[in-house]
Parts: sequence; C-alpha cells; structure tokens
Amino acid sequence: MTERPPRQDVPPSLDDLLATIPCDVEPPARLWHDIVFGIARSQRHTRHLALAASVACAVLASAVIWTVLHGGPESRARLPLVAVRTTTRGGTPGVAATPAIDAAPSFAEPGDAKYLATRASLQLAFRERLALLDPATRTRIEASLAVIQRAHEDIRKALAAAPADPLLQQLFESTWHEEFDLYDHVLHATQLNVAKT
Amino acid sequence: MGTLHYTPSAYAQSNDTQPARLITAAVAGDLTAFEQLYRQFAPRIFGLCLRLTGQREAAEDCTQEAFIAAWRALARFEHRSEFSTWLQRIAIRIVLQGRRGLRVAREVAMPAAGLPEVPDPGSSAPPLDVERAIAGLPEGARHVLVLVGIYGFSHAEAAAALGVSEGTTKTQLHRARGLLTAALELEAP
Repeated sequence: MTERPPRQDVPPSLDDLLATIPCDVEPPARLWHDIVFGIARSQRHTRHLALAASVACAVLASAVIWTVLHGGPESRARLPLVAVRTTTRGGTPGVAATPAIDAAPSFAEPGDAKYLATRASLQLAFRERLALLDPATRTRIEASLAVIQRAHEDIRKALAAAPADPLLQQLFESTWHEEFDLYDHVLHATQLNVAKT
Repeated sequence: MGTLHYTPSAYAQSNDTQPARLITAAVAGDLTAFEQLYRQFAPRIFGLCLRLTGQREAAEDCTQEAFIAAWRALARFEHRSEFSTWLQRIAIRIVLQGRRGLRVAREVAMPAAGLPEVPDPGSSAPPLDVERAIAGLPEGARHVLVLVGIYGFSHAEAAAALGVSEGTTKTQLHRARGLLTAALELEAP
C-alpha cells in the first residue's frame, strides 16, 4: 500500500480553504437591543415611540460608557436577566468587591424587593468604584447614568398609568438592563485598580 | 404579530429551544421566546450577511432588519421548510434590497468575533486572505460563492434566493472560483 504524502506538503485547494470558513459568526451583543427597539418602533404607537427613543438614548449612553471603559462596543456582553448580589471580600476595606452574578431565578418584576435590594447594593459598590476613576471619565459616566435613569423614570410614570401594557414593561426592562450593564462595566473596569490597592 | 409580552410564556420558561415551540410562543407575542430564537440563529444569519455584503456594518443592519421582518412575518411561517432556511431567505432578500444603499467606501470584511485577528498557524481557522479575497469579489460572483461554496445551497436554491437562473449561478460560481484562485495564488484545478 502506498503511503500518502504528509498533509502539509499538499498545497490547499480552494475547496479546502472555503471549508475552513465558519458559517456562524457571533453578532455584536448590542444587536438584540437594536432589534427590540426596531420591533417597538413597528408597533407604531406614538407614546411608545417616544419612550422607545428615550430607551434608545439610554442604550447609547451605556454604549458610550462601554467605549470609554473598554475601548470598543463589539465585545460588550449583555447581562443576563438574573439576580445579582454584592459580596464583600477581605483585603479591600471600604470598597465592595465586584458583584457576583449568580444563576438565580429571574426577578418576577423589576419593582420587587429582591430587585430593589440588589440595585441598592450595586449602586453602593458602583459609587465607591466611581471614585477610583479619573474626573473626566467619572463625569461622562454620571451623565450617561442620568440619561438612563431619566428614561427609566419616564417609563415608570407611563407604566403607572398603564401597568398592564406589555410594551411599556419591555421598555422598562430594557432601561433596567442598561442600568445594570453600566454598573457592571464600571465594577469590572475598576476591578484591577481594587486588586492593586 | 400581536403585542409584546415581557413575561415569558410557559414555552420560553421551560428552556425549550425547539424552534417550533418557541415560534408558537413568539407568534403569541412572547418576546422572550423570540430572543431565544435570536440567540439560536443569529450567528448563522450574521455570518451569512457578513459574507454576502462584505461589510460588517451593513451585515449588522441586515441582520437587524431580518429579525425584525421575521418577527412581523412569524405568524405566516408555515413550517414547510426549516426555520433557519426561512430566516436565511429573509436575510438574503434584505441584503439584495439594501445593496444599493451600501457604503461605496468598501470596508474589508473584518473577521468578526470568533475569528482570530492574527491567524494561528497551528489552527484550522481560515487565513484572513480568504475572507478578504471573498469580500473583494464582484457582487454577483460573491453572492453565489457564499451561498453555494460556503453555506451549502444547491444551485437551484441559490438561484431562487437570488432571483436569477441556475445557469447564471453556475457561471457566477465558475467566475468566482477563478478570481479567488488567482487572488490567492492557488494552483488552478
């Protein structure tokens, strides 16, 4: 039986090269948000449109922060809809550690006690970490957070008038994600600084 | 399409990733179910759009439009074909509709997440030259090469998706292969 020559000696054919091209390419993480807003726009409700635009501003604000802290939006990961808790680790007095993200059950509603407690602890850790950043970055982050919280508040008011409105609930959840994402980016971006102290 | 539901339906909550069940839930307005469909099929659709357009931003736009169009049309999906096939057809149509609006300043198809910036000689990842050479092909030749040569469409399927004859797809594939062989300095078969 004749032995075949080693593979590396055979120049690749075009078909060999084409076969190495992966069919699947992971899209940027923000694309799903864009799709949700596109779907919301297609509902053609003026009130919803205005609020969706507000949410879009919040997403943009969050994306800006991602760029400021990490240099580009492509690798931005979306926080899953799970409970988040803050744990304090030894050796970093006065600075809360990065919140651990558990695979705990989703919150039934953004306004429930679990959510509020989590949000409060995240905000505390976020404020402490924010102080570690340079003033210019801090100003941009605070401005972005204000945009997100304004959108959140606008939708909260609209929801008070129409609590069963599914689209408003979806928009409310989006701003909620953006707020958590922003906290998460800051906490992770400052993790190295905390580790050094 | 009905209204959106924030609260996941029983289908979505059960972590059932079977497209048929997720589609049923999504048709009822369950956006969580639709998100699961998106997570399952977006990499294929984005990869397809990326190779068809040769431009990352255009591919993002087309993928976005394809899923929005799919959401609107989901109730009309008849399960006669695979859901992925149906989605791919929508994406191809959107790429073809939008091709005139694409930026003239051609951005070389950047390897997206999942492809290394610098090829590792020991890995099986495609050399970036191949991606660039495909992105540089004339549009008609690129479309046929991507569908038939990479995504495994038959000539009949590619012809139907692109709105051309099978003779045209065969001619374009021959042309694309010739151009790629020359561009990559491969030995002619």
